[in-house]
Amino acid sequence: MTITENNIKQPIGEYIQNWARKHSLFVLAYGTGCGAIEIPPTMTSRYDAERFGIRGAATPRQADVLLITGYLATKSLKRVIRVYEQMQDPKYVIAFGSCTINGGMYYDSYNTINALDRYIPVDVYINGCMPRPEAVISGFVELQKQIASGNAYNATKYKENLEWYRENQKKIIKNWRMPDYNW
Amino acid sequence: MEDLAIKILGAVLTTIMAFTVGMFYGGFVRKLTARVQNRRGPVVYQNFIDLLKLQSKTTNIAHGFMHHMAPIWMIIASLTTLMFLPILNGNLWFPNISFHGDLIFLLYMMVFGSLGMALGAGQTGNPNSAIGVTRGLSQMVGFEIPFVMSLIALMIQYKTTSIQDIMIAQNESGIWNMFSNPFAFLAALFAMFGMFRYSPFDIVGAPAELASGPVSEFGGKYLGTMMTANSIFSFFKLTLYVNLFMAGAGNINDVGIVATLIAIVILLIKTFALYMVPVFYGWVSPRYRTEQAIRYFWAWPSALGLIGIVWALI
Amino acid sequence: MNSFFLILLILLAGAAISFALGKISSIISGTVAFLSIASASVLFFTQLKNNTYIEFPLGEIQLQWGIDSFGYIFALIVLGLGSLASLYSISYMQNKERTGIFYFNFVLVITSMVGIIFSQDFISFFIFWEIMTWSSYLLIIFNKKDVKEIGVKYMIFSAIGAYSMLTAIVMIKGNYNTFLISDAIQAGAFNFTNNEYIPILLLIGFAVKAATMPLHVWAPKAYSNSPMSFTVIFSGAMSKMGVLGMALVLVRIFTFNANNEAILPNFSPIILQQTLAWLGAITAVIATLYALMQDDAKKLLAYSSIAQLGYITVGLAIGTKLSVMAALFLAIVHGIFKGALFMVAGAVERQAGTTDMTKVSGLIRKMPFTFFTALIAIIALAGIPPLGGFVGKWMLYESLITESNSYFLVILVFFSSTSAFLYCYRFLFGLFLGQEEEATKDVKEAPITMIIPMLILSVLLMVTGAYPGILFDPIAKGMETIGFNNVTWDMSVLGNIWGNSVNMIYVWLTIVIVFIAAFIFLTLKGLKGTRYVSTKDISTSGEIPLEHENLTFQINFFQPFRRAAAPMYKRSMDKIWNEIGSGLESLFNFTRKIYTGNGQTYAIFVIAFLVLMLLLKDTLFLN
Repeated sequence: MTITENNIKQPIGEYIQNWARKHSLFVLAYGTGCGAIEIPPTMTSRYDAERFGIRGAATPRQADVLLITGYLATKSLKRVIRVYEQMQDPKYVIAFGSCTINGGMYYDSYNTINALDRYIPVDVYINGCMPRPEAVISGFVELQKQIASGNAYNATKYKENLEWYRENQKKIIKNWRMPDYNW
Repeated sequence: MEDLAIKILGAVLTTIMAFTVGMFYGGFVRKLTARVQNRRGPVVYQNFIDLLKLQSKTTNIAHGFMHHMAPIWMIIASLTTLMFLPILNGNLWFPNISFHGDLIFLLYMMVFGSLGMALGAGQTGNPNSAIGVTRGLSQMVGFEIPFVMSLIALMIQYKTTSIQDIMIAQNESGIWNMFSNPFAFLAALFAMFGMFRYSPFDIVGAPAELASGPVSEFGGKYLGTMMTANSIFSFFKLTLYVNLFMAGAGNINDVGIVATLIAIVILLIKTFALYMVPVFYGWVSPRYRTEQAIRYFWAWPSALGLIGIVWALI
Repeated sequence: MNSFFLILLILLAGAAISFALGKISSIISGTVAFLSIASASVLFFTQLKNNTYIEFPLGEIQLQWGIDSFGYIFALIVLGLGSLASLYSISYMQNKERTGIFYFNFVLVITSMVGIIFSQDFISFFIFWEIMTWSSYLLIIFNKKDVKEIGVKYMIFSAIGAYSMLTAIVMIKGNYNTFLISDAIQAGAFNFTNNEYIPILLLIGFAVKAATMPLHVWAPKAYSNSPMSFTVIFSGAMSKMGVLGMALVLVRIFTFNANNEAILPNFSPIILQQTLAWLGAITAVIATLYALMQDDAKKLLAYSSIAQLGYITVGLAIGTKLSVMAALFLAIVHGIFKGALFMVAGAVERQAGTTDMTKVSGLIRKMPFTFFTALIAIIALAGIPPLGGFVGKWMLYESLITESNSYFLVILVFFSSTSAFLYCYRFLFGLFLGQEEEATKDVKEAPITMIIPMLILSVLLMVTGAYPGILFDPIAKGMETIGFNNVTWDMSVLGNIWGNSVNMIYVWLTIVIVFIAAFIFLTLKGLKGTRYVSTKDISTSGEIPLEHENLTFQINFFQPFRRAAAPMYKRSMDKIWNEIGSGLESLFNFTRKIYTGNGQTYAIFVIAFLVLMLLLKDTLFLN
């Protein structure tokens, strides 16, 4: 049995699961850069992200969404990869701020990465420097749309193209000492 | 044979009711907390969505057998305690097997889940989990003392250790225990703050400090099953308190459907009112450190418990 | 030949042969010890009928040996646990030195305990008691560690016990002109109204072995320092000899209301009863508080043994049907689970080299069977349903609440048993859970001769949880022997005098059904997506722990609890005894000034004495 919504056909089980995933996003906010300061107003009274079912998670095991807030130093990239790989499928990444797109104001810095996309798969970008809470929420809503349509499967792409990602990652992280990752 | 069928049906119905009510109460608390903080907050059925999402995670990790078993211990503790608890008074529908257990048994059975959970958290090897567990267990030693004191007070007041009898005695005399022995009730109420782990006793799973403590390595189906167990368990705890101190669902001896529904509604009102006490207290409280929490329970609540026992003796 | 002599002869021969063979091979020596204890057990349980007695004279004294239903309870513990422990020690002692001495004393301890159970007169009782003390002393100092402190402490307290017991025996002989226990009971020697000293002196003697406060200070180190395969017996069975004696005496003191008439309106038995019960409860509390601060698993178990014996003392002291039944049930079950736990500690010690919980961790995957035993035994120790430990605890609480008026005692006992959860968790977490560290990478599971006794004990714990009636049967008979009437019991329903009950079968059914359902659900759901990862793969804020980095949390484990309970840790019985000891020492120092050890001084004393005698001869020796 299938169900059609917005011209997308889905089996009913899938549809219900995606509906639940969409309305319950546990966010692991990885406060790498200055963007982390925008998370508290997003979560608290004024903008109240919880009305969309968005809620903070404490560890990658419980989280659905990895929120990269701002620039990523080469040192913290290793941690981000580690955290991303520890998350459970289905998992999504929201990249936040210009820095994650093209390096932003740190575009020529020796110790930040420019495009996050080359190291872990990103589902939604939120541009701006800083993006305001409204923009963050709109980014989450965009992610919800993707989830509902069943398209948010970038994590599978990561598994399929692991070699390419690893190559890129190893270019940045010189002392590569990650544990074996069993899928 | 028919007897057995009714028993099984009753057990299933009890479980479904406890699960639904527990989950909804959790949702209400989230909604109310949001309103108090001047937010809109999530929908009241948000917990169901969360549960469905957690159960539809496609990968799960376990650090070993005890990690795998941890949610199972919790489910066992929740359901077994629920089955040995009389839900409605004098009603055919939900006595389950409450005639075969008593208060002391329930007291020990309630610990089963926490210890199983602690073992699972221990096997993950995450130091945060172990720290959370030591805090949780220490805090448990704290609140169990006033709780036991108030239970002893009730037992010697009515010369019985069965919850059923305590409920019936309250209905016969028409005075709830929270009025006939207010000290024991207060002691138990303070213990309840610790049991529900709302502020100020939420240091066990401090999200920022300990990365949510014992549950930090649990995700997906494991976290979902734990959430289910917790919901059922919180319904159990509330019903236990209502049975002990507020005469259960009242004196309805009719077995008809309408009377049963009325009884359930009364039970829900009472449990919800009771549930709001630790929640309200939590809203206005900061967080205690573990030793402060233990001392808190060993000071006034235990003193009240002692007075409760003396009160019951007189 | 009489079976009594045959059993003791087999055991003694086993001791002698295993001593002789100890030089050749420890395995053969151990096997001989095991075979002798096992065959003695088989003989005991098949050949001996309850209530058979033999009498034989020793000089002018009439000795009597026999076995009654009460002794039978303890024979179950001694011989059952003894056989399993001797099977266990074959592998445990495999690569150690001086195994001949070990097995000789090991079998001798069993022999003496069987002798104590046989004894129906005070003379043989005392002789066997002393054999037990001496042979266990040799085993305590077997590891040659801290001999001075541990051995001397044990010896001093045993001597205190033995002398007070001897004094009581002499007084009984003097007052009632009998050495037979049954005659003494008939004559009312234990009755408090007739003579206050006899029961109190006897109780002191027994309390030493049962490690009741304030006579417990020898126990923690003695338990933790002897070889583990002996500690199984030491804590599991030998301490129960104290319980045996206490039960015999106490029941006579309080429960000539055994006919369930009121206690004599004499005030002093009640005081004694309350004192003993409170001592038991305080023992339990203090030992528990110390147990949860230990870093060594063996010491943790040693303190926990003392705490458990405290519960048993409380049960005996309250002296009602239910509480005595609870105490005896706890005595047996404590033998089972503490035996199992010491076996676990021994297995870990043998395989991993140490039982220090700050050094060993994460053994669960390497020693799964040992872990299973530890888990079951710990659940029983914590008194969590549905295992045997719960049954005992339940009866104890119900008897305290329903039948005694000491409600504050209940709170104390409950405090101790809730705090016990802390050390229960510590034991499992410290040895088996947590990070798998480099140091314990190559640890293997213990050999099968150690696994089998452990698994048998854990199965026993489950069976006694579902069908406690199996143990109620001998206990009820034994209680009727020592003077209770109409001890009722049910196969798996526990009841109190208010008519409330717990049905263990329903408990088991519910738990098993829920367990199976939940296990199937959780295992099969998303089976493909479930993967097992190592304990290094944990969320550490993205940090990647290296192989050699130690992530184990073990030091200062219950620090918050310790901080909260700080005032309770200030006093220690050890300190008080040390103060008494140093007081005595200064007294002896003073004496030493007179007895200088110099021959010349003594000569002066002799001369002075003679001169004194000569001067005073008229007044002293008038006749």
